[in-house]
Amino acid sequence: MTDFPILTAIIATPLIGAVVVTMLPSRRPEIIKAVGYGFTIATLGLACWLLADFSTKNIFFQFVENQPWLPGIGSRYIVGVDGISLFMVVATALLMPLSLLASQRYPSQRPKAFTAWFLLLEFSLLGIFLSLDLIMFFVFWEILLVPMYFLIQGWGHERRQYAALKFFLYTAVGSALMLACILVLGFLHQGATGVLTFDYRVLAAWAYHGLSLTTETVLFLGFMIAFAIKLPLVPFHTWLPDAHTEAPTAGSVVLAGVIIKMGAYGFLRFSFELFPHASVNLAPLLLTLGVIGILYGAVVAAMQKNLKRVIAYSSIAHMGFVIVGIFSLTVLGLDGAVFTMLSHPLTTGALFLVVGMLYERRHTYEISEYGGVWRSAPMLTAMFMLAMVAGIGLPGFSGFIGEFLSLVGTFVSRRPWAIAGAIGVIFAAVYMLWAFQRVFMGKPSAITLRMPDVSLREVIVVAPLLALSLFLGLYPKAALDRIEPSVKRTIVNVELKTGFHEKRPAGYSKTTLPKGVTASESIRLGLGGP
Amino acid sequence: MTPPISTPSINWLAISPEIALAAAGVVMVMLRSVLRRRPITMPLCVVVAISGVVAAGAVEYRLWQVVDHHRAISTVAGMVRVDLFGIFLGVVVLGATLMTLLLSVAYLRREGLDAPEYLALVLLSAAGMLAMTTANDLIVVFLALEVLSIPLYVLAAFDRRRLSSQEAGIKYFVLGAFSSAIFLYGVALTYGATGTTSLTGIASFLAHNTLLDQGTLLAGIAFLLVGLGFKVAAVPFHMWTPDVYQGAPTPITAFMSAATKAAGFAALLRVFGVAFPLYRADWRPAVFALAVLSLVVGSVAAVVQTDVKRMLAYSSIAHAGYILIGFQTATSRGREAALLYLFVYSFMTVGAFAVLTVATRRGDDRHSLDDYRGLALERPIVGGLLIFFVLAQAGIPFTGGFIAKLEVFSAAAQAHQYVLLVIGVLAAVVTAYFYLRIAYTVLTPGEETSSAKPLETPRRVDVWSGLVLVACAALVLVVGVVPGVFVHWARDATFLL
Amino acid sequence: MIAAFTITPSFYLILAAILFSIGAVGLLVRRNVIVMFMCVELMLNAVNLTFVSFAKALNDVGGQVLVFFTLVVAAAEVAVGLGIIVAIFRRRRDATADDLRTLEG
Repeated sequence: MTDFPILTAIIATPLIGAVVVTMLPSRRPEIIKAVGYGFTIATLGLACWLLADFSTKNIFFQFVENQPWLPGIGSRYIVGVDGISLFMVVATALLMPLSLLASQRYPSQRPKAFTAWFLLLEFSLLGIFLSLDLIMFFVFWEILLVPMYFLIQGWGHERRQYAALKFFLYTAVGSALMLACILVLGFLHQGATGVLTFDYRVLAAWAYHGLSLTTETVLFLGFMIAFAIKLPLVPFHTWLPDAHTEAPTAGSVVLAGVIIKMGAYGFLRFSFELFPHASVNLAPLLLTLGVIGILYGAVVAAMQKNLKRVIAYSSIAHMGFVIVGIFSLTVLGLDGAVFTMLSHPLTTGALFLVVGMLYERRHTYEISEYGGVWRSAPMLTAMFMLAMVAGIGLPGFSGFIGEFLSLVGTFVSRRPWAIAGAIGVIFAAVYMLWAFQRVFMGKPSAITLRMPDVSLREVIVVAPLLALSLFLGLYPKAALDRIEPSVKRTIVNVELKTGFHEKRPAGYSKTTLPKGVTASESIRLGLGGP
Repeated sequence: MTPPISTPSINWLAISPEIALAAAGVVMVMLRSVLRRRPITMPLCVVVAISGVVAAGAVEYRLWQVVDHHRAISTVAGMVRVDLFGIFLGVVVLGATLMTLLLSVAYLRREGLDAPEYLALVLLSAAGMLAMTTANDLIVVFLALEVLSIPLYVLAAFDRRRLSSQEAGIKYFVLGAFSSAIFLYGVALTYGATGTTSLTGIASFLAHNTLLDQGTLLAGIAFLLVGLGFKVAAVPFHMWTPDVYQGAPTPITAFMSAATKAAGFAALLRVFGVAFPLYRADWRPAVFALAVLSLVVGSVAAVVQTDVKRMLAYSSIAHAGYILIGFQTATSRGREAALLYLFVYSFMTVGAFAVLTVATRRGDDRHSLDDYRGLALERPIVGGLLIFFVLAQAGIPFTGGFIAKLEVFSAAAQAHQYVLLVIGVLAAVVTAYFYLRIAYTVLTPGEETSSAKPLETPRRVDVWSGLVLVACAALVLVVGVVPGVFVHWARDATFLL
Repeated sequence: MIAAFTITPSFYLILAAILFSIGAVGLLVRRNVIVMFMCVELMLNAVNLTFVSFAKALNDVGGQVLVFFTLVVAAAEVAVGLGIIVAIFRRRRDATADDLRTLEG
């Protein structure tokens, strides 16, 4: 079955689902829901198959498909997966059916449109993580805006107009600049070599010596703005709390779980390979922004009165760890970052789902409205607590491994930033525990006392996420074995292209490519040719 | 004995499309005067009109075959030049004309404006547009400009009961005549500087002579640019656009926004590409300014509009800005991008205005955004198509609009026009915002406060309008999904320039 | 001496330019549609004068022929333009551009 185009199948399944849903009669919500589950679970099945078939030996892209698409512009349909994108695909495929299940009751209005937009969202996310052609990557990146805009606008809370507009403008401006940079890069390549292509691998093998340092830096910054807005890094973050707060639960889960990872993924995938000099030179800037994100997110989260905003700001802090890990420019740091990108969807997804359950019961996110929830809903309290400790990095859960690796990597290469980041870990515990205390402990009000506990469906929604987080926390090797080859390749490529030396802890040997892979092969990312 | 008068040889095939359209128009006027108000008149005229367009299309196809093998046909003493460029835009014009005619049939009946003159005027205007796409002499360009404009003045004012339509007519007329005069002054100055009005003649004169005093020629080029700038609705020559688009009968708005723009850009690309390539350094900055202003004003002004027709009018100004980007690069990729953009834009905009035509009720005057609230819920197909067309205009991937924008931006990137590139992508964000707003409004249920239903629409869309909607949507979708063949055509069409 | 004062084509060109400018400015500042209309005619005739002067200067008959085209077009424009103006007059007694403000925004 090696010929089966599994990546295309993964991308296409949700799209077909969306088309099917739009054709169903809107009077039959149960069929629509069943179809929605069917297609998201089918995608998950394909993703699991991909996970099983994924080889830990190949450090380049696997399951690559390459077809002509836009001949006039030189863009091709190229998809492929490596250790960096593998878990983003799996996490996306996993969160989607769970979010749909979680929002079974909530979008009482127009389930058809909701399901269709949702499937389209999944389609664009999977496309983003699997594209190896820059134009195609942009296409999916851009499509994502539409379903997300309509989900926030159509099913959000009171200030959804404002939140949807803000979300749209921020991300669209970022992606517009990215498109400009992609085109400039592609046509500079054409000017130098005569070949018009947007194949990421070809451009990566050319850009590091084909661009002047100034051009490289400008293009890096153009991409960076798009990624930083999505991530979000601190000066570009203000859309996130609004979007999170106003989005429906399923939207928040996907937003926190996957969409904000797109930025980190972009840095890992594109910035390092395309603009290695600029990445090395500007690493201190991004490290600083990351640390600011960690501390700022933590402090602001502690001051929030709205439960969803607390989690939203905590996401900013978590993404700070990711960016710090990435720009530590060490294998450990990158491992930690990718691992956090896998772990954060699980823990934050679980948190948002539990908060959504609270909302369904009381129709408010205001922390002061709650108190003493544990009396009436002990199971709910337990679920929130588990999700919370998994998120704040209690050893034994996945959150710990990711943050630990990120910080160790940073400690080796950039000590002051690591120390500042570590303080953020303590803050995280403070604001989450404080929020927990205010919501779940204390004296319950009369309304709170009447709150029902979780149903079986709600347990089914959250349990897999927590179980996976626990599994990865206890046995991270399962994921790291698949992540590390690609991470090592990334670091080695940066070293090869710029002459930069990765800082390693004493006693560790230099990061090398596996036997049989030459340096020039690595620079070309496994693509044949001269 | 006086010497015999020599007439230029005429390749009749080359000018048959224009003849077919004009003849159909004349036949209709005669039918009207012979048959008077018999019930048969109108259907008969519709048949004549459509056969005229189809005949012109068939001739274009034949010309395409001929030109493809033998290169361009130059005829009527070199005043007309039929090449792939002209044929490509001619097909766009004919497509838009056909759509307009089909759309108008039910519209005229609904509005009680049944008049064959309307159809005849559309055809005559289209004949002028076709002449414009193949004109190879400034004076032919001017004549074509007038032939296309004069019927449009009448058409814009055609709805006699609606004051806004008459206002649109008079505004269009005054500013149209103004721009024609400016264009003509440009022709005169260019003639004075080079001694000819033939485009190829001007080019060879400029290639072989060095002008001692360039002032006259540069002034001429500037006036030509301004005159054509009015026609393509580029800022700052756009003042008439929102008023005229809003006031004119909606099918005519579709016609003006698609076909007139195609014809205007045909003249712009040909005049500047053929006659003044050597003065590139002089006109490119001016076009740069036009493009930037059109993008900025078109996209920003559209955001604050509340009337959908006005919104689309401003968006058409922004679209002109994108096409101007392709024009400004003065490269073959830029021309290709401009042509492809015109092609896609024509069908997107006709489609959008077609939805407005069928979605509104008798009177054709309720086009505020609120009137469209919840359209997609009441009439899923019509509303869905409107969403599709506005998203396509926004440049959402997998629609033709995306491919067109990508081509334009590629051209700018290749020509190192980075400022235009960045302004273009940012303007795309702003326009996308208000397109999404339209789409969202159409998808949202209206408040149930007022008892009066805002849209007491005919539930069924007539066959012809339905055909227009489906054809436009299919074309825009096909260009978006498999753009290869269209890009190829557009590229072929740039070569002979 | 008056006899030494020769009239060159550039005099005509400058006159035409002045007439054209008067027409253009008039169209922009006047508010009566009929007057605006007359301004357009002035502009077109200024162009005719330009054509003829250039034709004389270049010793080329082509420019004079072009004037005929312009005249025909101007006549057609007059017919249509007056038709539209009359149609508006029928509905309202006035014809100044400031009154045409149903469309604004």
